[in-house]
Amino acid sequence: MSLFWQTLICGLLLGGMYALIAIGMTLIMGVMKIINLAHGALVMVGMYVTYVCFHYWGIDPYAALFISMPALFFLGCLIQKYSINTLIGKESILPENQVLLTVGIMLVLTETMRMIFGSDYKSVHTSYTGSSFFVGDVSVSIPMAIGFVIAMVFTYALHIFLTKSDIGRSIRATAQDKEAAILMGVNANKITIITFGLGSALAAGGGTLLIPIYYLFPDIGHAFVAKSFIITILGGMGSTMGALFGGLTLGIAESFGATYISMGLKDVVGFVIFIIVLLFLPGGFKSLTKR
Amino acid sequence: MKTISKVFFVLLLSVLFIGLSYTAQAKEKPIKVGIVLPLTGPKAMFGEMEKNSFLMAYKDLGEKTVIGGRKIELLFEDGQGKPGIAKSAAEKLVHKNKVIMLSGGYSSACSYPIAGAAQSMKMPFVVSTGAADKITTQGWKWVFRGTAAPASKYTGALFDFYDKVAHPKTAVLMYENTDFGTSSAKGFRQVCKKKGIKIVFDEAYEAGAVDFKPMLAKAKKSNPDTAYCISYVMDAALIATQTRELNWSCPFFVGGAAGWTMPEFLKNTGGAAQYIASTTLWVPNVAWPGAKEYYDNYIKKYGKKPDYHGAQAYATMQIIADVLNNAKKITPKDIRNALLKAEVSTIMGLIKFENWSDEFGHNYTNQNKPTTYVVQWQNGKLEVIWPEAAKSANYVYPVPKWNKR
Repeated sequence: MSLFWQTLICGLLLGGMYALIAIGMTLIMGVMKIINLAHGALVMVGMYVTYVCFHYWGIDPYAALFISMPALFFLGCLIQKYSINTLIGKESILPENQVLLTVGIMLVLTETMRMIFGSDYKSVHTSYTGSSFFVGDVSVSIPMAIGFVIAMVFTYALHIFLTKSDIGRSIRATAQDKEAAILMGVNANKITIITFGLGSALAAGGGTLLIPIYYLFPDIGHAFVAKSFIITILGGMGSTMGALFGGLTLGIAESFGATYISMGLKDVVGFVIFIIVLLFLPGGFKSLTKR
Repeated sequence: MKTISKVFFVLLLSVLFIGLSYTAQAKEKPIKVGIVLPLTGPKAMFGEMEKNSFLMAYKDLGEKTVIGGRKIELLFEDGQGKPGIAKSAAEKLVHKNKVIMLSGGYSSACSYPIAGAAQSMKMPFVVSTGAADKITTQGWKWVFRGTAAPASKYTGALFDFYDKVAHPKTAVLMYENTDFGTSSAKGFRQVCKKKGIKIVFDEAYEAGAVDFKPMLAKAKKSNPDTAYCISYVMDAALIATQTRELNWSCPFFVGGAAGWTMPEFLKNTGGAAQYIASTTLWVPNVAWPGAKEYYDNYIKKYGKKPDYHGAQAYATMQIIADVLNNAKKITPKDIRNALLKAEVSTIMGLIKFENWSDEFGHNYTNQNKPTTYVVQWQNGKLEVIWPEAAKSANYVYPVPKWNKR
């Protein structure tokens, strides 16, 4: 039985951090209706910011959240303002030229980091890295537990921000119907910039929380794009709570797949769920709550 | 008139110049050797180490890199660690750059398609690292592997250690589901069966996972006498730290080369590497001439410690220079003949390409016979513990529990 609980705890904790990264993607997807393939690269840049903070200035990774997230918010705003927004409304052969642009941004970010830091694997070693406590027979990793709690706090804060604040409501209005939002006096241009910044900051947050348990190299982003994409589809585009449940579902499913099927087929479990959801619940978890 | 003669003069000069430079070029046309390595992507770190080592060997070989007035030129091509791209990189080197032989490859997954392409293009390919058995069991005449043992033979010294010291009755086998991983695992299983060691848990995993605990928790439950785990560097580091988190003290935990001997492994485990053992093909303190110098010079030049992968690249360059010097003519066919006859003393020992079979009926073509070692991380240093003749420190067995390390 302890194996079952061990599996559940591992999946749940990891799923919480996946969710935070995916929420960033789902926000951007909801408002701009584009798939941001640079999302993983933004996670990676956020992780490097944290790494630099820790390695050169000795700042604890969790404290570095206050640096990496604003830094990525700023970077995200710049990317949206000076590259993606300039493409909106341009005629092109492919309607998805913004998606192609995000691929370009991903490559630029990845190769820039490779130029600065090289291809070496980096990791951050704090006093609590690799430490754990035991609940009965089940080992709970301390950095994973902290990461999970912080991720949940951020998710809740974001939820409050989106439902209660003025900017948050404008973001939701733009996501629901851009034309109508503009007619109501929402500055859609500004909103897209803020949304992209917010999405990037959440990506950085997720990356920073992962750094005490994982490692870092310039190409690490690809894995996160795939995972966030699955989670976004699971949860339903643009839904924060959907992404949260999507993240937890994916984390737990992967973990159970690894324990009871095979560790080698862990990713297959994620993709099978993805296909099942697309077939039987095309709107994601979101469509279950709304009629 | 004056301008016309001026133009004519310039034209004449340029024709002469082009003609001259052409003949000069023809005489000193370099001997091109194509090397495919993962220079970008997740395996780029290994690719860089091998490239650096190739270049170091090239420099150290000095006048041996000039043959009959023609310089050897190394052309590096990025295979990105992806089999398809590595194969087309090799084909590009042959068809477009007109190289005379191929080398590198790095991972088994990439070396195998390059080897297949080399065989069909009739182009000698000297494998530097790719260890999957199948690369030299196809009977491919143009594929040579000297610096790497077949993956299933990495465990020679380890089983000797098991026989003479550890006598395990049960073992756990964990491996990444790549060519190298499955090939190594197959070899381990076969020898275990022959020696009567029971494998109580046997599982493959996908590289790059964040959390290995589901697998490790199951392995811990089976309570084995020894564990053999084949992983790349960061998976290895995470597995080591997570075995500690789960408080699983295996009496003898052995890594299957690849990542387990890398300096980065030690750096990223934060102490969890203590007493973890590994198989390996090379250590800096082996007796072969040049090994220690290579190790020291590499650190001096690049500020990082190389491991056996770098040594393989260095030794491969030594082989390439030797066969090019001994080939009758610089053609793929003569280079192949030179490789068949070669007996090269490298930093990885004497390398010969031979045809032989093992006790499980595998027939190897152009494969050097392997020398393997067992190493163990002791207080932040990688010490050779087996075979006895080569040891640099005494083995620690059985390994103490985590709270006593």
